[in-house]
Amino acid sequence: MINIALPKGRLGEKVYSLLSRVGFNCKEFTPESRKLIFKDESGEVNYFWVKPSDVSVYVELGAADVGVAGKDIIDEYSPDVYELADLDMGKCAMCIAARADFKDDVSSPLRVATKFVRTAENYYADIGRDIEIIKLNGSIELAPVLGISDVIVDIVETGTTLKENNLKVIGKISDISARFITNKAAFKFKNKEITAITEKLKEAVKIYD
Amino acid sequence: MKFAKREEFIVEELSELYKGRGFKRYKPGCFEEYSLYQDNKDFLIGKNVISFSDLSGKLMAMRPDVTLSLVRHIEVEKGATEKLYYNEKVYRQATGGKNYKEISQLGVEVVGAIDLAVVAELTVLICRTLATINENYVLDISHMGYTEGLLSEFGADKQLIAEYLKSKNLHDFNKLAGVRGYSDGLKNAFYTAVSVYENVEVTLQNAEKAALNDSMKSAVAELKDVYAIIKKFGYVDRVNIDFSACGNADYYNGVVFNGYLKGVPHSVLTGGRYDRLLTKLNKNGGAIGFALYLGEIERYFAKDDESVDYLIIYDDKTQLAALDIANEKNKLSQTVRLSGCLPAGLTYKNIIDLKCKEAIK
Repeated sequence: MINIALPKGRLGEKVYSLLSRVGFNCKEFTPESRKLIFKDESGEVNYFWVKPSDVSVYVELGAADVGVAGKDIIDEYSPDVYELADLDMGKCAMCIAARADFKDDVSSPLRVATKFVRTAENYYADIGRDIEIIKLNGSIELAPVLGISDVIVDIVETGTTLKENNLKVIGKISDISARFITNKAAFKFKNKEITAITEKLKEAVKIYD
Repeated sequence: MKFAKREEFIVEELSELYKGRGFKRYKPGCFEEYSLYQDNKDFLIGKNVISFSDLSGKLMAMRPDVTLSLVRHIEVEKGATEKLYYNEKVYRQATGGKNYKEISQLGVEVVGAIDLAVVAELTVLICRTLATINENYVLDISHMGYTEGLLSEFGADKQLIAEYLKSKNLHDFNKLAGVRGYSDGLKNAFYTAVSVYENVEVTLQNAEKAALNDSMKSAVAELKDVYAIIKKFGYVDRVNIDFSACGNADYYNGVVFNGYLKGVPHSVLTGGRYDRLLTKLNKNGGAIGFALYLGEIERYFAKDDESVDYLIIYDDKTQLAALDIANEKNKLSQTVRLSGCLPAGLTYKNIIDLKCKEAIK
């Protein structure tokens, strides 16, 4: 029996659709359902439907043996897990954006608004730029517009929200995609099952994506 | 999932196991000079230490680890070994926790002349330690000579490759390999180090073939020797070679151990060869050891049976009678709980209610 944590939302639905095509179907699974745990008919897997940013927590703590988490979450929280596959979906980029008229004033610390505090800190530490972090939980784009930050560090998928708020991408930190992760201890004790599901999922990504 | 045994039984069994191999109990002081941890903070699991000034104004710390104290205070004659075990509390952040915690830690250390017999004996002791708690265990063995040898081939990308190795991340490695144009030999060495094979002998053969330098070759040779010995003693079913586990190269230099127990989502035992710590502390010889983090698995141990044989309920008039009955029951090796009312949450096999003046069985 393998416990799989899927991120609620479009990405989770897509991954579930792949898994159901390679033998892990679950009739009772409907994204609209209020249920959080679903069992498949074969009795081989349980699905947990969790908040995307919590998938790595469930996997690291062993509640789920495997899960699907965005690279942004893995980079931000550095969970002690194995990263077995790049599912090549949920693609976007971790970017730095600023107002269209932004000019970096290196004589003072750069004010950075973000949800991804560690990612931003690590990036600016690497390039040696002094920063002040403003931790926000949503609508990050508002921060430079209202003047509380110089730049933002956030996920950019299409760039539409940035454009609508008169912001532009001024740098890319990393490419993001969905990753298949596993708890390290589970990988030792359920190696055959986890390896098999990883291989099936990789194949499914190639065929159906 | 719970283990079948209670923690105190396991500690007792393990102490007997180590004493049986001539290991002496080591008892460090609770406090140590802060500088010892400050100078060697990368050796510690958590980087934060509880510090305070002693009565003479010297900056001291509550020990977050036993190994550093042990190595600092033990003097071993050239060519000899000191074999020690400990069962102590340490004070540090629990894994994933936000505050300091008192954590039970049990460990074994050998300091001095470390030869193949010592490494093999310790490996067997680790298997027996894990099996004492739960027969369903896995011991991963890695080797710093192999991982450091491999990483040294990647030059400036060493740190990034170490991250990929630790998380068995082949996809991002492949992307980087495409950009950098790594040779097939280099790629193959990384694939081999990341892969887990069911058969240790096959893993070691592959690792030998993929070895790129003397450091990797001599690491495989040592692992082969250790494996041959533990195989002879029948401890191979639950042993894997897994080079994705690597310690801090400033301290560790040889075999690295990571022990897992079925039902626990993280490693419960870590250890390895750490000659470089001795060098840093200006000591001669080598050292090898392991620590079992009992405090981090305490919730998995079987709990004490808190039920009693007899619950005796008394009132003002029946206090003496209740004490008499309790004494009689104790003489018959039965457990008794006296109470003026029904204690919440207590389980009992029999109740004698002296308020009602009748016994209910």
